[in-house]
Amino acid sequence: MKIHRQFPAAPSPDSRGRAAAFALSAAVMLIPANLLPVLSMDLPGELRTDTIFSGIVALCDQGLWPLALIVFTASFLVPVLKLGGLGWLLFATRRPVGEGALGLTKLYVTLDFIGRWSMLDVFLVAFLSGTVRFGALATVRPQPGIVAFAAAVVFTMLATDAFDPRAIWSSHSQSTEEITA
Amino acid sequence: MTQPASAKVTRASRLPIVWLVPLVALAIGGWLIFRELHSRGTEITIAFTTASGVEAGKTNLVHQGVPVGEVTQVIVKKDLSGAEVTLRLNKEAEAFARADAEFWIVRPEVTFSGVRGLETLIGGVQLNGRPGSGPPAKEFVGREHPPVAEDPSQGRAFLLRADKLGSLSAGAPVYYREVKVGAVETSRLADDATEALIRIRVYTPYIDLVRANTVFWNAGGAAFKVNLLGAQLKSTSLEALFSGGISFATPEGKDGLAPVAPDGASFALHDEAEKDWLKWKPRIPIKPIDSEPGRQPRASDLPAALKPN
Repeated sequence: MKIHRQFPAAPSPDSRGRAAAFALSAAVMLIPANLLPVLSMDLPGELRTDTIFSGIVALCDQGLWPLALIVFTASFLVPVLKLGGLGWLLFATRRPVGEGALGLTKLYVTLDFIGRWSMLDVFLVAFLSGTVRFGALATVRPQPGIVAFAAAVVFTMLATDAFDPRAIWSSHSQSTEEITA
Repeated sequence: MTQPASAKVTRASRLPIVWLVPLVALAIGGWLIFRELHSRGTEITIAFTTASGVEAGKTNLVHQGVPVGEVTQVIVKKDLSGAEVTLRLNKEAEAFARADAEFWIVRPEVTFSGVRGLETLIGGVQLNGRPGSGPPAKEFVGREHPPVAEDPSQGRAFLLRADKLGSLSAGAPVYYREVKVGAVETSRLADDATEALIRIRVYTPYIDLVRANTVFWNAGGAAFKVNLLGAQLKSTSLEALFSGGISFATPEGKDGLAPVAPDGASFALHDEAEKDWLKWKPRIPIKPIDSEPGRQPRASDLPAALKPN
């Protein structure tokens, strides 16, 4: 975890700016990721092209709702919550945070932890595309949406990576200094 | 409270280069969406009674030999009465998503009057269509059979009324002096079911042969006569023996030839020729045999009866 790493003496002044830039990029990339198809399946008598959302609906239709829940969590809920969390973190550290510093640090730790788990979709599509190649019987092909989705996940990871958690505490200490001064 | 002012100045002096990243992301994301929306044509569904051979992702809508749409789904109708084919059209083929467009399935077809759709024997079936010009539409009913070529510049169409169809089928030849000068296009029962209606097309070089008083008779099948002197088998041609055929003759008339029959003129179709019909020998100049069928006749080519006054 980042908190235990060795840092230069002071947090980089533009760490928040860089994190914001990456978070914005992630938000932008989430739009094509959810609008465009992520994979297509050639089945006998059918050519299915699924977006993330239509895939979840299809899983529900087939009665596989636990699976649908997992996919919904991993590919929709987590990226959105993560972006929301990042946004809140960046917004809150605009000013000295005071007593909220501990809560924000916990939020940061959580965001950093869940980041890598959002790649489930990308892994699934890569796996299916590589293995399901049975010619006329079934073929799975990746579609542009999955690239946008992977980019969005990478950008959220870059954003949490760029954010220096000491910004929370430096603004906290600043505020205590101000209080004592 | 004294220092923060000077700190602010250094921080806000320039926009960090990292802000290029969201801009690039915006450009790429916008381009991805634009490309998807741009390449995506309209999706239409066509109902067929049978869709055998139509495969999603493989069967194409082919127009003038160029694929202009792809079948994305083939399902049976909810009431099991037929099949429903979903087709995604290419952007440039939007004219197929209009109310009066027609679609049919091309399968290899071998008849006595010719072989059609031979390329589909190996490559699988194709969908063919005729673009429409009406208001945009998404649901169509497919044709059972390909429509006959209706190009008014290629000859002239006439309607024949017969008591019975006989062995005439689409594509059957139309003869003048046993030279093939046209073909049967389509046939159906008259609205009141008292007659069979047959539409024929006489090709451009020969349209002058059909006059207002021309007689048509069924030349198809074979006449097999047995009498005391022996047996006689008579047929116009081998093709006419199997797919039927129509012959016609034009009388000379007392005061010259009758006027040329207009497009869509209607005639009775007799069961067989009367003896003297076969003796008629009017002199009718025909158009040069190499006049292109697709070319509109020039005013100087037109027979006198069709010339504008």
